[in-house]
Formats: sequence, structure tokens, C-alpha cells
Amino acid sequence: MSSFLARERTIASPGFSRWLVPPAAIAVQMCVGEIYGFSVFNIPLTRAIGITRSIPGQDWTVPHVVLATYSFGLVMLGLSAAFLGKWVERVGPRRTMVTAAGCFCSGLVVASCGVHFHSLGVVALGYGAIGGIGLGLGYIAPVSTLVKWFPDKPGMATGLAIMGFGSGALVGAPFGVELMAHFRTAASVGVAEAFLVMAACYFVMMNFAAWIVRVPPADWRPEGFVPSAAPGRLITTAEVEADQAMKTPQFYLIWGVLCCNVTAGIGILAQASPMCQDMFGVSAVVAGGFVGLLSIFNMAGRFLWSSASDLTGRKTMYCIFFVLGCSLYSLIPVSQRIGSVALFVALTCVIISMYGGGFATVPAYLRDLFGTVQVGAIHGRTITSWSMAAVLGPQLVTYLSAYQRAHGVPRAEAYNSTFHVMAGVLLLGLVCNLFVRPVHSRHHAP
Amino acid sequence: MKRTSPLAVALAFLVVALPLGWGLYRSIRNALPLFTGAPPAAAPAAPAPK
Repeated sequence: MSSFLARERTIASPGFSRWLVPPAAIAVQMCVGEIYGFSVFNIPLTRAIGITRSIPGQDWTVPHVVLATYSFGLVMLGLSAAFLGKWVERVGPRRTMVTAAGCFCSGLVVASCGVHFHSLGVVALGYGAIGGIGLGLGYIAPVSTLVKWFPDKPGMATGLAIMGFGSGALVGAPFGVELMAHFRTAASVGVAEAFLVMAACYFVMMNFAAWIVRVPPADWRPEGFVPSAAPGRLITTAEVEADQAMKTPQFYLIWGVLCCNVTAGIGILAQASPMCQDMFGVSAVVAGGFVGLLSIFNMAGRFLWSSASDLTGRKTMYCIFFVLGCSLYSLIPVSQRIGSVALFVALTCVIISMYGGGFATVPAYLRDLFGTVQVGAIHGRTITSWSMAAVLGPQLVTYLSAYQRAHGVPRAEAYNSTFHVMAGVLLLGLVCNLFVRPVHSRHHAP
Repeated sequence: MKRTSPLAVALAFLVVALPLGWGLYRSIRNALPLFTGAPPAAAPAAPAPK
């Protein structure tokens, strides 16, 4: 078993099709991306004792559930990706995917026990801590593998992988709802049982990915691919190691670029449902449909924008994200004033597609600047900015809209100042991006 | 040299496309009322999804 997982055993033999690797990457990312759809469990978890209603003092509250699962899980994702990135590069994708499957799925089993015995600490230990480590490993392993397989299309490759993560909510949320409906009884909300079934299904899917994944031989190149003799100014042919990358200003500029991009997008994503209801008076069901639509654009943007960055270059693509995003954010209050839901939906869908595109283009940007050898480890360290943005974005939207309402601004207009702040955050990201220059040769590995 | 069969590649894509297609179908079905003039809500806003 140990030798089956060894990196040497995953080196592709001649004739292996690199197109087997994208489905492996999508499979793993789709499973760990379930965290995006975890909100479907929030309300049932607050009724674990009361079943039909939440019993104050005995049942958990939504903020406690979110903190123990979603927030804790995302923080652990960032930390494990940052600290285990070099290990991932050393042991290869197969061992990493199997470890990720073990952590993520055993985390779900432990969380299921936590729900059964009604212990939020055990749920946090399972889904947040153990599962969060699986999330981090599952997130970075496929990305660095695909970057190595597609030197001719790095943007498309990372877009494919990270699109899988975006699709996690599309699959995970309805799957969770169906399972809870199936297992719900007079004595159970069905969450514990749903976690167990999900753990089994995800374990099979992630190990399927580990089985088919391969890494290319060291000197491998796609058939007919000749690296450009004069690559773009920002595309290096040298290699920078992860520890050295952290000594460069480029690392922190990209960190800032990702943080601003994610903060602006996640602010809308986390508040999409109440925002749509407050601004246009639509029902909760219709607002739920709006959230689903955003998930589709989030997923599609990851592939389309990132693929387009192969043509435009990464720096130009981020300039487009920031300038266009800033303009669209400024237009949202207009859609509210003229009462156009369709315009609001169109604007937010494009913004969220660029949020996804920003996520997916980062690994290719890092690969351009630092080379491929430790791109997984560098990517892992960069996505700590995501953990910070996951806290910052929703807090900004919630605090600003609540402040506006407290000062007498009508409910429908309370988000307008938030949109202007988000536009400002994107301008800050644009400044970071404009300062990105090629990495100095003193940082290159000998 | 043993070449990977195109069928194996297609099957691998099918394994991920099936759940993805199902999720897409469910999401689009739920989003349709946005464009078909659903009546406004009487109830206050629901809690934020995370």
C-alpha cells in the first residue's frame, strides 16, 4: 500500500493521457468544496434537540454552528495549505489525496458523532479541525499537479481544478438536503446520518481521483510544445523555492491581490440571500435561487476567466477584474433605484464570476512568477489571504448595512454604501497588482 | 508504449460530470422564479447563508 502511494509510482509512463488528470482534480475539489454548501445544515443543526424548532438554552445557535464548522474549517484550510505545502510537493498527489480523503471523511464521521451526542466541540473537532486539514490538502494537491501537466495552458489547467471547488456547493448542498429529507424522523433531523453517507461517497470519489492521478516525468513536455524563446516579461523560466518566495515583495503583492478580490466577492456571496430580499422584496425561496445562480457563475468564472488569462496574461486579467468589478459595484445601487432585479442579478453574477476567476488565476500567476517546482507550497501559503478575507468580507457587509439601518436609511438602500466600499477594496487590489514586477534573479534557485 | 484509451478519459470525465450535471440542474430549476415574476415576499429576510 505504501509503495502504491509513493510519488515514484505515480510518475506517468509514456503514452499516458494528461487529460485523465483534470477529472481527478475536479473530483477531489468537488468533494472538499462541499464546505461552500454547508449552510444547508445550519438550521437543522440548531434543531438537533427540538427537531421542529430550536429550543433556547439547549439547541445550538446559527453563529455557533457557523463558527465551529464553516469558519473553523476555512481557517484550518488556510493553515494546513500553508504549513503542509512543501510536504505535498515532496510526497506527490496520490498520497496527498488519500490523506485528504482520510482527514475530510473521518472529520465528517467525527462530526456525525458530535451531532448524535450533541457536542459542538466534537463537531468542531471533526468538521473544523480534522476535516479542515483534509480541505487544505485536497485544495492544493490537484492544482500543483495540473500546473505541471499543462505548461502550455496553465490558466486553463488551474481554472479546471479550482472550478471543481466552486462546484462543491452545487453538488454538496442539494445532496445534503436530499439526505436529510431521507433520514429525517420524529427523533432526528437527519444530519448525523447524512454526514455518514456523505463521508462514504466522498471517500470513494477522492480515492478514485488518487487512483487515476499521475505526475509527469521531470523532463516531460506536451507533444509539439516548444516553450517561447521570448516569454512574457512576468513569466520566468527559473525556479524559486517556497521559503525564498516569501522573501520577495511579489509574494505579498499577490497575497494582497487575492485578499482584495476575495473580500469584495465573498461579501456579496455570504449575504446574497438577505441582500436580494431586502433590496427587492423577493421571497426567501426566490433569493435561494439567486444564491444558486451565483454558485453557477462562481464556478463558470473559475474556468472561463482563468483560461482567458492564458491569452491576456495574468497581470492584465487582474486589472480587468479590478477595474470592471469596481465599475459594476458602483452600478448596483442604480439597479436598486430603478427596481430592476434582472440588472441586479446580471451585475452580481458577473462580479461573482470574477471572484471565482481571481481564485483560479492565482496559481497560474504564481507559476509565472516563481516557476513550477514548489508552486503548490507557495500557493498554499498565499491562500491564507482567503482565510482572512472569509472573515473580513462578510463582516464588512453585515456591519455597514446594520450601521446604515441603525441611522435611519431604508432597508432597501442600506447596502448601497457597502457597494462603494467594496469598489474601494477592489481599487486597493488594483494598486497591489500594478506593483507586481518580475522576481529578482537573486531569489532564483541555483 | 501503452496509450491511454480515449474511452478511459471519457469515463473519468463522466464520473465527475454526472454529479455536476445533477447539481447544475437543481440550481437552475431553483433560480427560474427570479426571471418568471415571482411574487414579492411578505416575510422578513432570512438569515445569511455562509
